[in-house]
Amino acid sequence: MKSGGDSTTIDVEARSASKGKGPVLAVHHVKEEKGGMKRGMAIIDLVLRIGAIVAALAAAATMGTSDQNLPFFTQFFQFEASYDDMPSFQFFLIAMSLVAGYLVLSVPFSIVSIVRPHASGPRLLLLILDLVALTLATSAAGAATSIVYLAHNGNASSNWLAICNQFGDFCRNVSGAVVASFVTVVTFMFLILLSALALRKHH
Amino acid sequence: MKAGAAIELGHGESNSKGIASTTASAGVNRGASILDFILRIVAFLGTLVSAIAMGTTRERLPFFTQFLQFRAEYDDLPTFTSFVVANSVVCSYLVFSLALSVFHIIRSNAKKSRIILIFFDTAMLALLMAGASAAAAIVYLAHKGNAKANWFTICQQFNAFCERISGSLIGSFVGVVVFMLLILLSAAALSKR
Repeated sequence: MKSGGDSTTIDVEARSASKGKGPVLAVHHVKEEKGGMKRGMAIIDLVLRIGAIVAALAAAATMGTSDQNLPFFTQFFQFEASYDDMPSFQFFLIAMSLVAGYLVLSVPFSIVSIVRPHASGPRLLLLILDLVALTLATSAAGAATSIVYLAHNGNASSNWLAICNQFGDFCRNVSGAVVASFVTVVTFMFLILLSALALRKHH
Repeated sequence: MKAGAAIELGHGESNSKGIASTTASAGVNRGASILDFILRIVAFLGTLVSAIAMGTTRERLPFFTQFLQFRAEYDDLPTFTSFVVANSVVCSYLVFSLALSVFHIIRSNAKKSRIILIFFDTAMLALLMAGASAAAAIVYLAHKGNAKANWFTICQQFNAFCERISGSLIGSFVGVVVFMLLILLSAAALSKR
């Protein structure tokens, strides 16, 4: 006697046996239906995962190639801006690359949960790792947002001036990278919700 | 008939085994719900302390000149305002979700409410983490400055302000870790039914 799905089948059979022999075929059909819904959720999970890979890679690439050099220079001021200049942007790049790498590595687990819709091991593992990746992506997005906000608006009380007025292209690239990382965050939230929905056991 | 008797025996064995495993997993779920309740209280305290600590910082240096500001308040930086708002929202959400957590202790096999709880917990985790990391980036800037953008460090003048805003981040990050544990607990309880 196998554990997991088959014991579920036997339990249902036991309850229906008290009414009179419940048909085995009907129970097997119900179990296959539930498997169909879980399989559908796993397919949506895979599609969302591929979308999140695209968004995370776009965020990392946009941030990494956001250098801008202004075509004039003086003795005292720097006229090039790069993601290297801010540690928050460096952290953003590293974190989004890690998230993109994790997503690529998690695609096989997602395919496994399509092929075997009743296995809860891969789904629970994906939920745990998705949670860690969500936290990492959100922290990168939040840190970069605060720096981008400062770059757009400056801060009068601490005499931090807005560098976006001089470095327009740099600012646009960096803001686009932050938007892409928030898209990744929202996708992760849906992925976690899907995994939680598919983990339910129906008795 | 022999096959029928064999099937009944099989049913009897598996029935008792089914009932025993259901009781055991219900006990584990109840323990997980109690742990969930305790963790929620910890997160509530952490975010409350963070919001209050950040929201009541102000420092005024005892001298002044014509050009520079010598007063630092959390209002001056919109990131800190959003940090206080995010922590307050998460704090009040935790108070409401304590009720749902108590419901889960009483009735451990509720599935739909656990899914709703996971959804809102994930949203609050993202909100809290975004606010906390945005404030952390600004605190880092306040400590180190940035030579290339000509942003100078305000921590050298405002020591007490700096210490307060750095310390208030701790409660928020504790809340983030607790939220991750809460979501894991709910998911494990869901999958063990």
